[in-house]
Amino acid sequence: MDKAVLSLGLTALAISLPPWPGAALVLVATLAVLLGPAGVPGRRLWRAYRVPLGFCVTGALTLLVQVGGPDGFVSPAEDGPLRAGELLLRTSAASLGVLLFAFTTPLSDLLPRLVRAGVPAPLVDVALVTYRMSFLLLDSVRRVREAQAARLGHTTRAAAWRSLGGLGATAFVRSFDRAARLQTGLAGRGYDGTLRVLVPETRISVRFTVLSVALLAALAALTLVLERPLS
Amino acid sequence: MHIAEGFLPPVHAVAWGAASAPFVVHGARSLIREVREHPESTLLLGASGAFTFVLSALKLPSVTGSCSHPTGTGLGAVLFRPPVMAVLGTITLLFQSLLLAHGGLTTLGANVFSMAIVGPWAGYGVYRLLRRYEAPLMVAVFFGAFVADLSTYCVTSVQLALAFPDPGSGFVGALGKFGSIFAVTQIPLAVSEGLLTVLVMRMLVQSSRGELTRLGVLVSSVAGRERAESAEAVAR
Repeated sequence: MDKAVLSLGLTALAISLPPWPGAALVLVATLAVLLGPAGVPGRRLWRAYRVPLGFCVTGALTLLVQVGGPDGFVSPAEDGPLRAGELLLRTSAASLGVLLFAFTTPLSDLLPRLVRAGVPAPLVDVALVTYRMSFLLLDSVRRVREAQAARLGHTTRAAAWRSLGGLGATAFVRSFDRAARLQTGLAGRGYDGTLRVLVPETRISVRFTVLSVALLAALAALTLVLERPLS
Repeated sequence: MHIAEGFLPPVHAVAWGAASAPFVVHGARSLIREVREHPESTLLLGASGAFTFVLSALKLPSVTGSCSHPTGTGLGAVLFRPPVMAVLGTITLLFQSLLLAHGGLTTLGANVFSMAIVGPWAGYGVYRLLRRYEAPLMVAVFFGAFVADLSTYCVTSVQLALAFPDPGSGFVGALGKFGSIFAVTQIPLAVSEGLLTVLVMRMLVQSSRGELTRLGVLVSSVAGRERAESAEAVAR
């Protein structure tokens, strides 16, 4: 909960504050939190960040040009660099805020609490099973891929396609097989349709929450102070 | 490729969320009803969600030589039907945004609309249409997956063009720009996803005929064959 205040608060600030200097300040602050107190290794962060960043850059590039007009079919847009830069700042800062949440909050902690927030229990149960089974399946798929590679399953293009098809089919068969075995196991333990899991009581750190709110307020105030001199 | 966090203006993010809500609520209500009537379905639906998640994580070799990930919406729609896919797709997209920062929370509505609603419905529509005209199962599966993939990215291009109209030519020019980046380049990847889906379906027909019959995928093919046999008998 307290971590959500910080990470989702940073995301909200990145979207709602003026991109310059607001989103830039949020970007720097989030990066500092991720690499500092959150202890996320830089290489891991980059591997996770490059995919959303790729979309941000590709999307922003289109704003640099305009279609039609007196200068030809495709020409540089007048405010293109400014709009592209603002969009890039806003979206890269917001994505980093979500990554802070992703790196610090296990979904298995969050999902069972959604029932208390009013989400219907059957939906949460399906999401929980999906979450837990996804990692088992990903692990299974990784091992099948290794086995295929060891059997020279990726040496030619045709073999690679055949192996990929087999991988998809294996994932389907294993997911259904696992569901059937889980059903048998749960039936033996009196499964009545609700997946009861122990949810450890959360202790909301008042100090952490206050510091988070203070950081968010400081970023917003600093943006308002710096906006006029820097723009 | 999902629209990243913070990419859409707030009004657009809210509007796409509102557009997606009826489909997701409809799917969620039918899913809740199914789970209440058959509690064991929870595990099967969870497994289906995990399969969709894992399918979108497979690396797909493109026919142009690059590499991408399938959307999985076409196969998911054929196997589990579009209303269920609206919910499973939403869960998958939520996981992708919270676990991997692929997509985002404010852009969830827009991504759900393109990937969990339009993609599955368009793909399923083409699949059903081809099956109605007695096209072979694998042909229908290929075009279902192809259309599901391509329509997803066409809708993404429309969403981006609406949010960022071109200064010179407005929405149409912006659609051309975003479409050439996100939709035209997707055509070889859509072909790849169609081929992959056919390979997966061929293996499933061999190894999981029971499950496919239970999901209703093979019922239509059996009915189609019976219809063909009876038509042949009448002709004779």
